[in-house]
Amino acid sequence: MREHTFLNIIDPVKDKMYRMALRLLTSKEAAEDATQEVILKLWSRKEKIKHYANVEAFAMTVTKNYCLDQLKLKYNNNLRIVHQNYESNSTSLQSEIEVNDEMEWLGKIVATLPEQQKMIFQLRDIEQYEYDEIAEIMEMNQTAIRVALSRARKTIREKLVKKHNYGIR
Amino acid sequence: MELDKIEKLLERYDEGETSLAEEKVLRDYFLQNSVPAHLKTYQMMFRFSSQQANEKLEEKPKVRHSRKNWHTWSSIAAILVVALGIFFFNDSERMNYNDLGTISDEEMAYEKTKETLAMISQIMNEGKSDLVYLKEFNNTSNKIIELD
Repeated sequence: MREHTFLNIIDPVKDKMYRMALRLLTSKEAAEDATQEVILKLWSRKEKIKHYANVEAFAMTVTKNYCLDQLKLKYNNNLRIVHQNYESNSTSLQSEIEVNDEMEWLGKIVATLPEQQKMIFQLRDIEQYEYDEIAEIMEMNQTAIRVALSRARKTIREKLVKKHNYGIR
Repeated sequence: MELDKIEKLLERYDEGETSLAEEKVLRDYFLQNSVPAHLKTYQMMFRFSSQQANEKLEEKPKVRHSRKNWHTWSSIAAILVVALGIFFFNDSERMNYNDLGTISDEEMAYEKTKETLAMISQIMNEGKSDLVYLKEFNNTSNKIIELD
């Protein structure tokens, strides 16, 4: 496989890999490094990649495992700073600030979820994968995924409601 | 889209039972601006997830000239330098076992050893003399105990 062909295969997946890494590792730099590292891993196995039915799911699995390893190694212990720059498409500054504030809150809430729920929420609600694809990426069965997803969604909303009520009173 | 239909979908959404198509319906509904107050939190969630999908990897992925490659080559170079260094500068004949400063005369060796040991003990005593003050600690603490 040539470099060009390989990069063409990776191109549609690389942002998803990066976002997954960002969700798990929090820091942008760490997420970029992780994505780059995983792409190199895939490149070194390029001959095998041809035989995988779903290269995208495989790439996501490798990303997931790599990031979890990084977390386990506490490799980025001193990089746990939130580096998220939220973009907004609204026009007025006031509402922009409000929206950014809300989105930042949501980011913080999602960051408190257990790793597994975080990843499943990322894959379903943000990347919009089908359940069978998520099952393949997470190496779990679909029922367990639905349960974890439901928990994640409920927890996020509960914490939002709590925050919202505090804000009013 | 009627509200009760949305609410039914949301119930199933919470349980993780909606399909992607149904979730798209919900997303489209919540991304337009006005929703009832009790559904605000759902709107925030859908806004968040659609906004998070915009995050992009900024640097271009590379597969050549990687750091790993660089590591391999630099380690090969380092090994070569060390190996060549050992090979070329390995003149062990220069090392002479006859010249280690050994004294051959027995009596002189004895005197030298005595001198060295005496010097060590003298230094030891000098150091120890400063420790006399440590006794003061015992004195004072004993007085306090006697008060009891």
